[in-house]
Amino acid sequence: MLNCKQVATLASDYLDNDTPLKWKIRLHLLMCANCRRFIRHLKITKEVSAQMVINQPTEDAEIVWKNLQARMNKEVQSDKE
Amino acid sequence: MTQSPSALKDKAPHTEKGIAIDESQLIAQLVCGDDRAFRQLITLHHSLMLHIARAIVGDTFADDVVQEAWVSVYNNIANFERRSSLKTWLLTIVSNQAKARLRKESRQVSLDQLDGEVPGSYLDGAHFKADGHWQQATPQWSNESPDALLEEQQLQRCINRTLTLLPPAQKAAFILRDIEQQSFEDICNILAVSAANVRVLVHRARLTLMQVIDRYQETGSC
Repeated sequence: MLNCKQVATLASDYLDNDTPLKWKIRLHLLMCANCRRFIRHLKITKEVSAQMVINQPTEDAEIVWKNLQARMNKEVQSDKE
Repeated sequence: MTQSPSALKDKAPHTEKGIAIDESQLIAQLVCGDDRAFRQLITLHHSLMLHIARAIVGDTFADDVVQEAWVSVYNNIANFERRSSLKTWLLTIVSNQAKARLRKESRQVSLDQLDGEVPGSYLDGAHFKADGHWQQATPQWSNESPDALLEEQQLQRCINRTLTLLPPAQKAAFILRDIEQQSFEDICNILAVSAANVRVLVHRARLTLMQVIDRYQETGSC
């Protein structure tokens, strides 16, 4: 029988359907309201935070591009020498 | 340079960070040497590549590694065989560059060391009794609706701020898994860690973000 700490440790694997202990976890969840709430909140966290994260396009594209050009020019120069 | 493994496959995105992308057209432009397309590629993927490099090789070398990766991309884009998506190919290149740099610098960087357990996190001993049961009841949330939570702009700010504070390997694993929807197998290859470690990193990141929502539910702020 799993305890709460073990269930909390395996919670992401359970949500990702990636543990052979799925049925043991379910058995624990049948009897433990705290762990049911913990798993439910982790599931909501996974869904919400992934959608909330703002991935800003980089503002440094021109700098990266100029550095890239400089490196390419340097490589060409050293090839000539 | 190592080619991207054919096993690494993911969906070709229709939009990327809010910018509509036709990947085939972009690749065609890149192959033709269109510099504007290359700058667009940098704009779209530089941040993610930096996250990957930081997770593998640390802050000190990450910028340089990504710059080397862009040189490699520029030199090899004409040979891109489309066996994977463009993004997966880019991630493979930056991952290989970072691993090579790690070997070159002979730095023993353990992802576990980088991303150790944070005191006060859900899995530390303080939350559990000796028999492994919860010390206290897990927090109640007044709002359990994902749709309603997604409308909360303050929560969004809290989550984004927390993400910037996550250790690099946790952040990269979380982004690759929960945002980029990469498989565990691909994340293992990209970050050069075992499957077990990837799972631990993703779990720790989610638990930290769950605590942000806990606090938000309780106080309305970060």
